[in-house]
Order: sequence, then C-alpha cells, then structure tokens
Amino acid sequence: MALEKLGFKEIMYKKIIVGIVAVLSLFILNYLLETFDIAFAAAVLFLVLMYSIMGMAWNILGGYGGVISFGHGVFFGLGAYIVMSLWLFYGLTPWIGIPIAGICAVILAGGLSILLRLRGHWFALATIAMIYIFLLLFQAYAPGGAAGLQAPIVPPEKQLYYLAFAGPYFYVYLALTILIIEIIFLRKVVNSHIGYYLQAIREDEDAAKALGINPFKYKLIALLISAFFWGIAGGLYTVRFRFVDPYCVFDLILISEYPVIAALLGGLYEFWGPIVGTVIFVPIAEYLRAQVVSAFPRYYGLHYFISGIIFLILIYVAPEGILGRLRERQYLKRFKIRSGNSNLKLKNRY
Amino acid sequence: MLMPTLEDIVGAIVSGLLMGSIYSLIAMGLALIWGVMNVINFAQAEFMTLAAFLTFFLWTLFKVDPLLALPIIFAVIFALGYAIEQGIIKRVLGAPPLNQIFLTFALLLVMRYGMMVGFGPFTRILSGVPYAEITLRYGPVAVPLPKLIGLIISISTALLLYLFLTRTYTGIAIRAAAQNSQAAQLMGVDIHKIYGIAFALGVAISGIGGVILALFFPIYAEMGAYFCVLAFIIVVFGGFSSIFGAYIAGLIIGISETVSALFINPSLKTLAAFAIFIITLLIKPTGLFGKG
Repeated sequence: MALEKLGFKEIMYKKIIVGIVAVLSLFILNYLLETFDIAFAAAVLFLVLMYSIMGMAWNILGGYGGVISFGHGVFFGLGAYIVMSLWLFYGLTPWIGIPIAGICAVILAGGLSILLRLRGHWFALATIAMIYIFLLLFQAYAPGGAAGLQAPIVPPEKQLYYLAFAGPYFYVYLALTILIIEIIFLRKVVNSHIGYYLQAIREDEDAAKALGINPFKYKLIALLISAFFWGIAGGLYTVRFRFVDPYCVFDLILISEYPVIAALLGGLYEFWGPIVGTVIFVPIAEYLRAQVVSAFPRYYGLHYFISGIIFLILIYVAPEGILGRLRERQYLKRFKIRSGNSNLKLKNRY
Repeated sequence: MLMPTLEDIVGAIVSGLLMGSIYSLIAMGLALIWGVMNVINFAQAEFMTLAAFLTFFLWTLFKVDPLLALPIIFAVIFALGYAIEQGIIKRVLGAPPLNQIFLTFALLLVMRYGMMVGFGPFTRILSGVPYAEITLRYGPVAVPLPKLIGLIISISTALLLYLFLTRTYTGIAIRAAAQNSQAAQLMGVDIHKIYGIAFALGVAISGIGGVILALFFPIYAEMGAYFCVLAFIIVVFGGFSSIFGAYIAGLIIGISETVSALFINPSLKTLAAFAIFIITLLIKPTGLFGKG
C-alpha cells in the first residue's frame, strides 16, 4: 500500500477513519443545530469543545506529569485579556490575537515555573494562590479594571475578520479545528520521549532523576505546552462571549476546575480521558447552571455543589476514571486506546 | 503623598497584629494537619466559615453570646472533623498524593457550595452583640474590642495547644506520629485515632478563628476563599510543618498587610502577602522556621 510507505501502519487506517467520521458527525450535528436554531445545545457543544481543549492540555501536566494544578485559569485569563486588548486598542484581528495569546501564556508559564520547586500538595495550593493574585492584579491594573472589557460592535462585512458572529454555531467549528490540531500535537508529544519521561517522573521522581532525567525540565515543558493551549482557549472564550472581566476569566471553579473534574471523570492516565469526561460532565453542569439555577436564584451555587459531589464520589469510588475502569475490565483491549501505562494504581487503600 | 507619621505606623502595626492573630489560628490548624498526616486540607477555611455561620445562627436564633458559644462550636467542629477524617480522609491516606489532593479539594467544593445552597448566597452581619461595637482608643491607636478579644483568644489557644502537645499523652502521641508513624505504632499508639484527633483539632482551631471573625467580618459562604490562600501562604512562609512558625508568620503577614496599605496602596494590601510568598519560594523554600 502506498500509505504504508509514508509511515502509516495498518492499524492507523481504522483510527483515522474513526476520527474523520467523528469530526464529520460533529460538523453535521452543528449544521443541523444551526438549521433548526437550537442555540442552547450548540452553546453546550461549544463549551464541551472548549473544556476539551483545556482538559487535554491540563492532562499533559496533571495526568502524564503528575503535577496537579488548580490554577491553570491564570493562563486562560491572560489569553482572554490579550485577545481582547489587542482587538480593542489596536484593532488587531483575533485570528492573530489568539496565537499571540497562546505565546503570552507560555511566557507567563515560564515565569511561574518557580512554583515547580514545590512538590505535590504545595504546588496545587500555590496555583490556587496564583488565581487570587491574578484576580487582584487584574482588578487593580488591567485595562477596564474590575468592570471588565466589552468588545466593540462589528459591521457585518467585517464579521469574518473580527470573528464576530451571532450565536454559537461558527465558534463550534473554530473550537473543533483547534481541538483537532491540539490532539495531533499532543499525540506527537505523548509518543515522543517527553511523554515517557513525564510518566517516569510521575511514577517516581527520584528514580527518574537517578536515570538522568531532569524532572524540572520536563515538568516545565509540560507546563509550557498546557499553558499554550489554555491561552488559546482563553482567546476562544473572548471571541465567543465578547466580554471579559477578572471575575469571569479567573473564576476558580468554572474555569480552572471544570476541566480538572472532567479529566478525572474520564480517566487521569488516559490520553482520551479529558474528552470523555468533558462530554459527560459539562452538559450536566451546564444544564444545572442554565436551567435550574437561573430558575431558582436562591439556590445559586447548586451547580458548583453538584460538581463537588461528583468530584468527591469519583475520587472515593473510582479514582481511575471511566476509561481507567473500562481498561481494568479489559474492555479497551481490542480498541487499542492509548493509556498512560501506569504501574502506580490510583486505587484507594481500603 | 503625605508621609505617614509615627503614630500611623504604630496604629497600622497594632491593627495588623490583631488581624494576623486570626490568620495564625487558621494557618496553625493547616500546619498541624500537614505535619501529622502529610495531607493538606484544602477545606481548612471552610470549617472556619461553618463556625462563623454557627456563631451567627446561635446568636440570632437563640441569643447565645458568641463567646459562650465558642466552646460549643469548638466541640461541634471537632466532632465534625473527627467524623470526616474517619469517614472520608482515612481511606486515601495510603493512596497516591493525587487522590489526597483531589479529595480534600472536592471537600472544599462540597462544603463551600453546600453552605451556599443551604444558607443562601447572602452576606450576613452579626449585629446586636453588646461588646462588638466598642472601640478602645489609646491616643492614635484605635483597637476594636472584638479584635482585642480575638488576639487574647488566639494567644491563649496557641499556648493551650503548646501545653497539649507537650504535656498530655495524646499530644505526645500526635507528635510521635508526626515524626515517625511506624515507630509510633510500634510504641502502642493507635495511629488511626491519633490522625482523627489531629485532624479534628486542626479544623477546630480554625473554627475558633471563625467565631472571632464572625464578630466583625461579614459572613458569607465564600468568605473562606481568601483566608484559605492566606493560611497557605503563612504556612509556606512559616516553614511547612512548624506549627509555631505558622503562628509567628501569621502575625508578620497581618502586619505586612496593614503597613503596606499605609505606604503603598490600600487596595493592594493583600499583594504584600503574595510578594512575601514569592520571595520565600525564591530565597528560602523551606520557610522561616523550616528544617532542611
């Protein structure tokens, strides 16, 4: 076969076909939603894709590297602000602004890499502190202050240039494209030595060090990669909602924790875990927020409470997540779905 | 900008000391739990919020004076902490650190937003307590009486904790478990009970902070968010498992807040604490009183 000469193995045909079918069906689904104008479903679909982008990127650091961050929202918020400011003050199109947002997030991640001096629990707590620092800093110094920034109204002929469309439909295509690029890139990373070194560091940092792996270097690489995609997701948020304020983009739960819960639900050591978790978790949370909580404002916080309960039950009953549990039961064997190959079981001690 | 006078500086230091003594209480509980169990309790400040709510409801519904309610609330939070440790946290003690981080973080979400759903997303203010409105004045230094009571309670709590940890069997067992849990087990210490007591004591000490805070601070479900971050910074600054390091560090952070508010910008007073945190990480990651 001609394709085999190009380095494709036979097993990959099936996967590529499955991938193309999945992407096409999402396109068709979104087209149908647009035709029948079902905005809520399309909005949820957009959020699922956005959180998938964030969850996949987080999983490189948190799942593969074992470095738990609860504060990736700082990269998201910075990205959102960069895109908004470039648009508002320099008239720069988000097409260029979004990659710049990713690069700025990478630079910020380089600065925050001093936090990697802390191990385990303390790194996680430090990232929460970072969220609060950025919230305070952006309230005081960011353009727009605590009131936030609103994107200008765009004339119809410049819609595509400024990515300003009515409804969520266009943004679903955009998010899907970014997600596909991300998956291809992350697969390369995970299959390279970086992915294996990261797993070695997660399993036993001292042993990895003894084998000549520099833990700081590879954790830093993972942090930079995940920060890049979180910055891009922040830019996506800006073009979709056209409004940023410090409270929205630095929200501890809604931005920083939803992808974490989703990744845990899907399976932390699984490559596809975050997407599986997001597809299940985000519609539930979003339905609760949009339909239940807005109908009963007295019970504001219910969606957070339910996410907390899901989180608690999950870590108590099945810390290995859905894909991890399926793998344990050997259901995934014949599909050859990629795993993080962990010897370190996430099982609790009973 | 006007230069602050000496009186202003003294006033700022005193009020920082008063606030810092409450931060210290929350941080001390966090350091105790970390030192003994090697688990960070992300939900630490949520127990403080719960104590503040309990104070509020005991006063508004039953007219129980907050200071009389203090022992009751201490006991309630202690019992709750013991139950949570024995019921939930015990299960993950042998698990990878990932599970422990996720579990206590999930506990934070459940407690914080459980309180929000249960008590409503409103801000409450404790009013009508006779001594809460009084402010003592010594020249330029104004001391609100509830904060002064807070300082006294905070110092006596720290002293009692010191006596408990050094003079009683249980306290010595807690310290033994912190140093080497296996050796402590060989000496006949029931390690599971000790972990439960240490966790319950840690959260109950934060609860004391919540009772004092309720006297002069607005009470709402998310009030713990900021205190959680501060307590963490204090523990890092004080040197991870050092309980009394955490106490001193809390006072320093409190003073740094008010003094920086005086000299820089009042709206950025919390950033002083964060600056201290970053500098600590860069220069001495083991903290002020940390070993190794």
